[in-house]
Order: sequence, then C-alpha cells, then structure tokens
Amino acid sequence: MIFSMLRFALIFAAALSSLAQAASAADGPIRFGLTAAVVRENLNLYERWADYLGRKVGRPVEFVQRRTYREAIELLRTGEHDFSWVCSFPYAKYRDEKFFGLMAVPVFEGKPLYRAYLIVHKDSPIRTFEELQGRVFAYSEPDSNTGYAVPRQMLFDAGKNPDRFFRQTFFTYSHTETIEAVAERVADGASVDSYVWEYLARREPRLTANTRIISRSKDYGFPPLVYRSGIDEALRQRMTDALLGMDQDSEGRALLDELVLDRFSAASPSLFDGVSLNLERR
Amino acid sequence: MRRVPLSLSIKLPLVLSVVVSVVAATIGVAMLDRDRQRLREELNGRAVLLARTVAAIAPEPVLRGDPWALFKSLRQSVRGPESAREKALISAMVLDPQGRVLAHLEPAAFPIGLPVMRPDSPEWPRLQAELAARVPDVFEGDGFVEGVAPVQASGYTVGLARVRLSTGELDQQTAAAATTVLLLSVGMAVIGIILGAAWSIRTLRPLRLLSRSMYDLGRGIFRPLQVSRRDEIGQLAISFNEMAAEIEDKRRLQSEVAANEKVLALGRIAAGVAHEVNNPLAGMLNCLSTLRAEKNDPALVARYLPLIESGLRKIEALVKDLLIELRVEDAREIVDSGCLEDVRDLVNAEIDPRLIEFVWDNRLGADDLFNGPKMQQILLNLLRNAVQAMPDGGRLLCRLRRDGSTLVFEVEDTGHGIAKHDLSRIFDPFFTSRPAGTGLGLWIVLRLAQSLGGSVEVDSAPGRGTKFRVRIPQEQPRVPQPA
Repeated sequence: MIFSMLRFALIFAAALSSLAQAASAADGPIRFGLTAAVVRENLNLYERWADYLGRKVGRPVEFVQRRTYREAIELLRTGEHDFSWVCSFPYAKYRDEKFFGLMAVPVFEGKPLYRAYLIVHKDSPIRTFEELQGRVFAYSEPDSNTGYAVPRQMLFDAGKNPDRFFRQTFFTYSHTETIEAVAERVADGASVDSYVWEYLARREPRLTANTRIISRSKDYGFPPLVYRSGIDEALRQRMTDALLGMDQDSEGRALLDELVLDRFSAASPSLFDGVSLNLERR
Repeated sequence: MRRVPLSLSIKLPLVLSVVVSVVAATIGVAMLDRDRQRLREELNGRAVLLARTVAAIAPEPVLRGDPWALFKSLRQSVRGPESAREKALISAMVLDPQGRVLAHLEPAAFPIGLPVMRPDSPEWPRLQAELAARVPDVFEGDGFVEGVAPVQASGYTVGLARVRLSTGELDQQTAAAATTVLLLSVGMAVIGIILGAAWSIRTLRPLRLLSRSMYDLGRGIFRPLQVSRRDEIGQLAISFNEMAAEIEDKRRLQSEVAANEKVLALGRIAAGVAHEVNNPLAGMLNCLSTLRAEKNDPALVARYLPLIESGLRKIEALVKDLLIELRVEDAREIVDSGCLEDVRDLVNAEIDPRLIEFVWDNRLGADDLFNGPKMQQILLNLLRNAVQAMPDGGRLLCRLRRDGSTLVFEVEDTGHGIAKHDLSRIFDPFFTSRPAGTGLGLWIVLRLAQSLGGSVEVDSAPGRGTKFRVRIPQEQPRVPQPA
C-alpha cells in the first residue's frame, strides 16, 4: 500500500516535471532564421525588431544568422527554426516538399518584387555583361537567385556557357561581401540582390559608391518569410499578424524604414513562379 | 715677432675644433651605420613576420579555392587594426607555386588567376628564387625588402606569401640621424673654436709677455715676469726670471771687469810710460850731474850733449805716439782710399829707393769707404815697422782690396821676420825688439782696427819676412740729413 502510494507519487512527480519541461520548451525563444537575403551587418536593428516581434507574439523572438540558404532551409525541416527569411530560389526549390509555408513577402519600392543588379567597379571600363568574358566574377552562393541563378540564366539565354564564360568565379556567401569584392576590385563583376544594393546605397554608401550597375534583370518575387509547417497555428497567426501589421504602428514603421521596406504583405506562392523557371540548372 | 702669437691664437682653436668635429663626425657616422644596420634587420624581421603571418592563415582558403576569403585574410593580416598597421607596407600577395596571383592587396593591378609578372620583367629572377624558397626568407631590392614565406599544407607547398616593405622610412630615419650628427659636429666645432680661443688666449698671453720680456732682455732691459700659474708656463716664467737675473748679474760683472781692466790697462800704460821715460831720464840726469861737476871740460859737453838729446828724442817719440793714439781715437771722417796716397808719399820720402822696393797696389774704388784718419795711422805704423824690419833693404808690398763687404789692407815685407815666441806679444804695449822703438806702434794698430770693428792677422817666419793683414767692414756713405 505504502509502496503503491510511493510509486504513484513518483509517477506523478515525473509527470509534473515532464509537463514543466514541455511548458518551458513552448515558452522558449522563437528562432527566426536570417540569411544572405537581408543585410546582416546591422545587428542592433535586428535586436530591436526581434524585441518588437516578441512583444507582439507574446514570446521572445531570436534572430539567428545562417551562412547559407540550405542551412536555413534544413533547420526549418529539422524544426530547429520556426520561421525564416530565405531567398526566393530555395523557396521555389523546396516549396513542393511542404515542410514550410509562405507567411509574408516584403514590399520594396511599392512592389513585392526585386531583381538582380549586374555591377562592376565604378572605374571599370566594362559596360555590358558580355565584356565580363574572361574576367573574375563573384557569386553569392549556389542557392541564390540573383546571386547565382539569374546571371547564369542570362548567360545561357545569350548562348554562352556559364561554366566557361568567366576566367574565375568565387562565392562570398553574402551580397554585401559580393559588393565589397567588386568595390575592392577582387572581382571584375558580380550579380547582387537589388534590395541589398539599394539598402546599402541608402544606409552605408561607402561600398556601393565604388560600384556601378551595368544591367538589371527582370523582376522576381521578393525573398519571402516562411514558417515551419508543424508550427502551432496560433503562433503562426500571431507572427503573421505582427509582420503584416508593422506599418500600422509607429515603432513598426520606424523599423520598416530602417529595413528600407514599405511593409510586409501576404502573397500567393505563384509570385515565385518566375524564380522556378531558373531552377533548371544551367 | 707679432705674427707668431697671432697665427697660434687662430691655429689652436681651429685645430681643436677640427679635431673635435672630426671625432664627433667619426663617432656619429659609426653609430649611424650601426643604427641603420639595426633598423634594416628590424625591417627585414618585420617583413618576414608579416609574410609568415599571411602564410599561416593562407593554406585553408588556398586549398578551398576561395580567393575572397584569402583576400580578406591577407587584408586582415597586413592591414589589421589602424594602430598595428605596417606603415612601410608596399605590397602583399599570395601566389600559387607558378607565380599566379591567388590574392593581392591591389586586385585591380594584379588580378587573381593571372601571373604576377611577365618572364621579361627585371624582377622575374628574384621571383623564381622566392618561389623556390622552402623556408621564410628575406630578399633585398632597391628601396624595399621583401619577406617571403611558403604556404604549406600537409608538407606540400601550395603557394607563396610575399610582403614588400619600403626602406623609405629607414632612409628617412638615417637622413634625420645624419642631420643630427652633422648639427652635433658643427656644434662641437663651434664649441671647439670658442674653447680653443679661450684656451689659446689664456695660454698665449703669458707666452707673449715672455716673448716681449725676452726681446727687452736682449736690449738690456730686465723686467721680472709675474708668475700667476703653477703649470709648465708658470715654470717657464720662473725659469726665465732666474735666467734673466743671472744674465743681469753676469752683465753687471762684465761691465765691472771691463772697468777694472780699463783701470789696469791705464795703470800698465802709465807704468810703461814711467818706465820708458825713466830709462833715458836716468842717463840724462847722470850726464847733467857729471857736466855740473866738470863744468869746464868741453870734451865732456861734446860727449854728453848728444846723449841727452837722444834721451829727449826717445821721450818725444813716446809722447808723440801716445798723442797720435789719443788724437786718432775719436776720428770719425769717412773717406775713400784717396787719403791713403798721403801715406804712400810719406813712406816714399822716408825710404831709400836704392835699398827698398816699395810696391803700392791699390784696388779700392771710390765706393769703398772707411774711417780715413784711423786707417791712415794703421797703415803708416805697419809700413814703418816693415821698413825698419829691412835695414839691409828688401821689398815692401802694400795691397788694398775689397773682399765682399770687407776691406782688406795687406802690408808685406821681406825683412828679418818675428821670432815665434814673440808673435803672441807683438801687440802688447811697450813690447819692442828695437832699442829705439816705443812698443806702441802695433798696439795702436790693434786698438784702432778693433775700434773699427775689424781684426789684424799676422803671418811671419824669421828670415822670410812678415805679412800683416787688416780687415775692416766697409762703411756706408753718410747720407746728408735734410735740414
């Protein structure tokens, strides 16, 4: 009798402790992945944005910088991240696997669209993409739309072999560093995210001032913010509301202003159909 | 006399300043050289260290083929934070083993993937040597040093880190140090001049005083020097004072001796005169007393009167000679040899031309001037002596000539000559070998010759004759003083 009571007590205690653990897991910070799609240099801005979002959703939000898109995507799949701001290329590539969903798209200069900028050094004699033949070209990363897929697609469309066109290529894993590589003349040319270039041109023109845009690509759906499929529906809704409502309060507007974005909007996955066309590996 | 201290007082500070500045410059240059060597080694060390730093972080991006990461690492290693930045940096790069650029601090000028230089570049041989380096090394070039370090991974050389530092800073520092040395040397020279001047003034003043005192001493003025120092110069002054005092004593003693000698000579002459007068006087007095006793003996008068006259003549001759000496002693008349013709005529009149052949050889010109009365007396005395030395006749030669600025008067006879033991005495007063002689003739010759600053030589051998030679300095013509 005493044993059975003791056993019950032990089981009860164990159940209590596991409950407590579950509760603490649920109350832990929401991990929000960031990638090369955004400018990662202004840490202070992301801290304040995380704080803002945390207050809106009722749980602390933590932005986590990830070096590659693949890393960010995989961490969504494993469940380590609940949300992520990824490039439109991995979005288009993995959206059919359904382990994440489209939550919001930033509106940049009035539209949820962006494009690739082909840049060279401001003193470079190069005027056209074709003139970069035999030169050094900087890519962002293999899973980047504007930083890899778009220029290769453009070369392919022009009848060139993207693998042989340049003398040498390298990856910087950051649009900002790609711009820097051109500004330092390590690379003769590069293709970068128009949002990152414009952001830097407004916030830190030191680098972009040394670069010149020689060509702009067609528009693509802006790198979207996605949620993990298994996430609590209420949390997802709160996060979506928080993002979409940012332009409704002054603090949110100030943050958007710093991000050089108009607002966040809901969008249809079809926005990224253009990106999907680049999925054909050239 | 005044130029010596003047030049010394310049020479001394100059020499001092030259020595000081040469020493300063030598030490300065030696230190400069050492300093430059040390700075050079330090620069070489910095170049190698930078190359090694680059080589240490290069393998990973080199193997991964990531030029951007390599560039960032290179930039980070050589530029670093502002404070630690290498100011002498000219260039830094990572090359692959073939000399192609993997990363360069100036990507615009040295694009990645291309050779860093062409084979026809003058630096190509050095590049090859650098690429062959298996350990970090330094290569020196014109105006730079290059530190190289192989980039190694798993024992394989996958590239070369190459950092070039300018020696400009080195040159600047050397130039600055050289300027300091130069200024220091000049400063030392100035200090040397000032010190040298002060020193020479201090040293030379007593020397100048000493010099003046010596000059004065030579003119018979003795002023003792002030002895204010204890060093060698003080000793010199003390010695000078002692020497001057001694000279002064000696001079006083000499003048006393000379005065005594004069008195003695006077006494000797007086005694000689008394003696010479006394001899005939005694004879004459004897004659007189005999005559007084035998008044009426005419034979005695006839016998004694000539004796008395002879005694009186002798006294007369003596007095005449003494008077001549006194008269001529103060003569000052400067004339040419024309006045000596009188002497020739006088002697010609006194000799018997049948016995004596008199040869007169005057080679003096109108410019050969001398003291006429004194020279007349000298020549007359010598010629008369010569005539008297040849009672049996002979040849008398008188030759007058000039030898440089000296006038030479020679009188030569072929008489009996002078005995050897008499030669040292012939100039003594009252010494004579003739009964009628006064012994004053040659004494007068010597005195007059000496008063003219001249000398008398005699060359004689018994039976062969005698030759007197008088040398006197030529007189300068008296320029009439303007009224």
